[in-house]
Amino acid sequence: MAAGTVSGGKSDAARSPGWRLLIEALRGQRKGLFIGMLVALGWTAVRVAIPTLIRLGIDNGVQGTDPLWKWSAIIVAVGSLSGLFMGLRRFVAFRNARMVEARYRDRIFAHIQRLHFSYHDTTATGELMSRANTDLQQFQNVVTMVPITTGNALIVVAVVTVMMIVNPILALLALIGLPFVNVLGRRFSQKLHPAVLGVQRESAELAGVVEETVSGIRVVKGFGAEPVQSAKLDVEADDIFNQATDVARIRSRYLPAIELMPNLGLVVVLAYGGHLVIEGDLTVGELVGFNLYVFMLIQPLRMLGMVVAQGQRAAAAGERIAEVLSTAPSIVDPARPRELPTRAGAGTVEFRGVTFGYETLAGPDRTDPPPVLRGLDLTIAAGESVAIVGSTGCGKSTVARLLPRFYDVDSGQVLLDGIDVRELSRHDLRRAVSIVFEETFLFSGTIRDNIAFADPDASDEDVRRAAELAGAAEFIDEFAHGYDTELGERGLSLSGGQRQRLAIARSLVADPRVLVLDDATSAVDPTKEHEIRDAMAEVMDGRTTIVIAHRPATIALADRVVLMDEGVIVAEGLHSELLATNARYREVLAADGGDADLEKASA
Amino acid sequence: MGWLQGGVTEEDRLDLNATGKVLVRAARLLGPYRRRAFFAFLLLVAWTATILAGPFFVGRAIDNGIRESDRNALFTSVGGYLVAALLGYVLYRTAIVMLATVGENFLRDLRRRVFGRMLDQSLGFYDREKSGVLVSRMTSDVDSLSELIQFGLLMFTGAALQLIGSLIALGLLSGRLLLICFVSVPVVALASIKFQRDSNRAYLDVRDRIGNTLSALQEGIAGVRIVQAFAREDIEADRFSRTNRELYDSHMASVRVAAWYLPIIDFAGIVTTALAIGVGGYLVRDGQMSIGTVVAFILLLQGLFEPVQQLSQLFNLVQSGTASLSKLFDLIDDPIDVPDPANPTSLPATGAIEVNGLDFSYRNGPQVLSGVDLQIHEGERVAFVGPTGAGKSTLAKLIARLYDPSDGSITFGGIDLRHSTAREVRDRVVVVPQEGHLFTGTIADNVRIARPEASTDDIREALDRIGVLDRIESFEQGLDTEVQEGGSRLSAGERQLVSLARAALVDPAVLVLDEATSSLDPGTELIVEDALERLMSGRTVIAIAHRLSTSQRCDRVAVIADGGIAELGPHDDLVASGGHYAALFEAWEQAS
Repeated sequence: MAAGTVSGGKSDAARSPGWRLLIEALRGQRKGLFIGMLVALGWTAVRVAIPTLIRLGIDNGVQGTDPLWKWSAIIVAVGSLSGLFMGLRRFVAFRNARMVEARYRDRIFAHIQRLHFSYHDTTATGELMSRANTDLQQFQNVVTMVPITTGNALIVVAVVTVMMIVNPILALLALIGLPFVNVLGRRFSQKLHPAVLGVQRESAELAGVVEETVSGIRVVKGFGAEPVQSAKLDVEADDIFNQATDVARIRSRYLPAIELMPNLGLVVVLAYGGHLVIEGDLTVGELVGFNLYVFMLIQPLRMLGMVVAQGQRAAAAGERIAEVLSTAPSIVDPARPRELPTRAGAGTVEFRGVTFGYETLAGPDRTDPPPVLRGLDLTIAAGESVAIVGSTGCGKSTVARLLPRFYDVDSGQVLLDGIDVRELSRHDLRRAVSIVFEETFLFSGTIRDNIAFADPDASDEDVRRAAELAGAAEFIDEFAHGYDTELGERGLSLSGGQRQRLAIARSLVADPRVLVLDDATSAVDPTKEHEIRDAMAEVMDGRTTIVIAHRPATIALADRVVLMDEGVIVAEGLHSELLATNARYREVLAADGGDADLEKASA
Repeated sequence: MGWLQGGVTEEDRLDLNATGKVLVRAARLLGPYRRRAFFAFLLLVAWTATILAGPFFVGRAIDNGIRESDRNALFTSVGGYLVAALLGYVLYRTAIVMLATVGENFLRDLRRRVFGRMLDQSLGFYDREKSGVLVSRMTSDVDSLSELIQFGLLMFTGAALQLIGSLIALGLLSGRLLLICFVSVPVVALASIKFQRDSNRAYLDVRDRIGNTLSALQEGIAGVRIVQAFAREDIEADRFSRTNRELYDSHMASVRVAAWYLPIIDFAGIVTTALAIGVGGYLVRDGQMSIGTVVAFILLLQGLFEPVQQLSQLFNLVQSGTASLSKLFDLIDDPIDVPDPANPTSLPATGAIEVNGLDFSYRNGPQVLSGVDLQIHEGERVAFVGPTGAGKSTLAKLIARLYDPSDGSITFGGIDLRHSTAREVRDRVVVVPQEGHLFTGTIADNVRIARPEASTDDIREALDRIGVLDRIESFEQGLDTEVQEGGSRLSAGERQLVSLARAALVDPAVLVLDEATSSLDPGTELIVEDALERLMSGRTVIAIAHRLSTSQRCDRVAVIADGGIAELGPHDDLVASGGHYAALFEAWEQAS
């Protein structure tokens, strides 16, 4: 029975990437699995021996003439082996599974780290999280099951064999109901799983109501929305109630039936077996042994029934994992990367006829959006600082993202010091070009770890110099632990401006030849902006800098201003010139008009 | 193999006394389901009896039937066994459903009650409590209870009953043979206590490490762009690998705990069986005991040790469940700061606001406002300005009765706000917060939050009144456009408009506006300004102003500093008087 279902699953193996990944994972665990099989074999032999020993103890000891202690001693001796195998079986099975889990989680993480920006643009964080978490759990579950299922299958075969040898007719009568345990076990698992998921889904919805209420409590209180939220919660609580009672009903339909089947077998054993004992064709010990054997079959049969459903779920999870792992990174190093010229005096940037459009999510109703850059030409001399200005969506941030090769151009070329960025190794290129994003993302760890991010070998002095350049040294020194202050979930939370300055320090630590500031000062509170501005002037000195900004004060720092519109450059010159001559330029800047901020000015 | 695992930290663990109190209270909360709960318990007792009856009938069949070659006696026992098995099926089936119904009803009531209490709490409560903790009360704490109720309760009760029942049945069969069971008691007890402790620790450790791994994972994915921008892919992969390895280690520690415990219990069972054969055999040979009794005894022993290991596994789950329950009860017991009076007085439709000798401090906090007096006439617009933390927003919220004063009073149309109900105050005074926070649902649902009974026409009228109906209807699905949590599909300006429409729907006499600190893009800003102006017309307005352009437009400006009103009067007068406000205004004029 069990063998049939397993081979049924195997027929998909050649095609499905999920099964293929599963087989690959099992192959990687060959040694552990082999040990697991051996343990399973030993465990089976010992388990199956015990009822026979009890039978012999009753027939030859209690009712016979053997010394009583003989059988007791043998049972204890074999029992100690049983314990040993039981512990080992558990340990080996879980060890294999946890190893697979750990190994694949590492692999998924490392792979995700290397996948290109456009992949991450279209894939939600949560989705990748569940690949490396819930899907992986399902997946490793199967690895646990392999030796355990083998053991279970062996037990079934061995027990049935022993029973058949003792008395085939009684064995058949005792076993007649047991295949149902397997069938019921399988159905139970298939029905239960979606219902349990349903409870989880409803619980998540309830959590959603609680979260939005707590996070929006000012709105709830301000408008008196308590009854509305309370009604929403009632609906969710009712949904959970219904789903959970459905689960209970499924359990009530299967669990008692699964228990009943072997009990009926025992009744039959007692009736027919009792008859046989009276006839003298069976001993009392054999009758007790039969009883114990029927008991012994319940658990393995139930689990064998569940294995199929679990295997299918694991394959589905494996398929989702395989999908991530089989996505090839599209931004890769060239076979023979070229070397950048030495740092001194370098840092020329050139965009030559660059056309580029972002990939969008595939879908039947989506047409390709127009390209963001349309034949852009821009040359920036070494050491020069250029501000790129334009309205939202004009492509200015895209320029910043093409230079470090986060995306590859559709046509045209991006050159750094005369070399196409696609001919450089990513490591060299990104060491040479540093970017500060608008959204500052800091990692958990110390301030030092965060600043030294680009260059883990940076000395304390380097870190300090970068912090000073970015105007961050002052507030860092005010912290009790200075550069060792922990950031992140369990650490200190910083203000937007402080985070921004750390992000700038991070980009400076490796002394890049080109610095790209993508709207990097927009989160800084305007009253503090001048502090950063002073620092920026120093940072830009002797370094090619591309500033994407909309605050006039920041723009004024640049040697030259470039105005972009719809993917091309429409004007360039000095800030003051453009302000005087270009209406579009004034329009773009006016969109960010300022108003005095009472709170901060008076604080 | 799927185990129910649970654990409880030292500080959350309840002592025996506290556990008792929590359980008594939980039983009281069962209320209308108490009789059904008792009945379910009886069903489980009966079910346990049917399980234990099996070996008993086998023993009888051997002694009275088989050994006496009496087929009638044999078949009587077989019949008894059959009846017990069928009865067991029915009882078990009924018990599962009944227990689940009681448990789920209890959980549903608990969820409603806890959330209801949270909603009844004032804003002060939310200032005190961390929002993450509040959410976790309703999620992880209730979930740990529901796991206990959905799976643990049946197993725990069943295992406990089976253990007790087996001991009783064994004692009834033979008191002397029962003594041999006690040989293994010290080993089983010590192992179980150690297991319970170790598995608790292992569980907590695994839980922590899972948390670490998930946050490392989340950080790595969310920060992937930064990682790539600085070519740190390999280093980050190594770093993650270390965290992941720690999780593996703690998983293995937890596996080890079970891997030595379960064999010990199993072995104890086998040793006891072996002893039963030895001692029982001696007694049988001696003619002091029947073979059937020994057989029944051996069969019963098979069910004695499994409950022991189930119980020690479930013990941690029960402990964490009672700890969660106790935290939930604490939350329900937290007194409400802003209670409704027993005999509320009605508020007039409109009226002046009077603040008299008002003192205010947050619970266990320093005094924020002291001796504040202020009259705001019907239809007047007053701007509250001042530095952060000086209390301008607190004063505005006191007027909306989001807090109650520590001393002094606030009246609306001559009635003390504390003499009215929260509901009625909210009909008169609405607070429009800084950001337009949206809830999951459609735009219409979001406008309706303040007046759930409002019809679609009411909502359209409210939108029309502030002049934004056309804009909302221009969306593909119009009012039925679904917004995502936090409102990410609407622009900041559109979210503000929805927020203003909520206020328009309530149509209150008084508006408290908490002005946004961040500015919108100029196009939307104009539309929002226009909608706001329409909303304000004909109402008393209190604006918590962050911009001078706003305070300039109000009838009077109150400068709130150092826990009181430092300056009060029309904008022009304050500028002329040369005080704090005048200095601010001057600085602003120079800057622009």
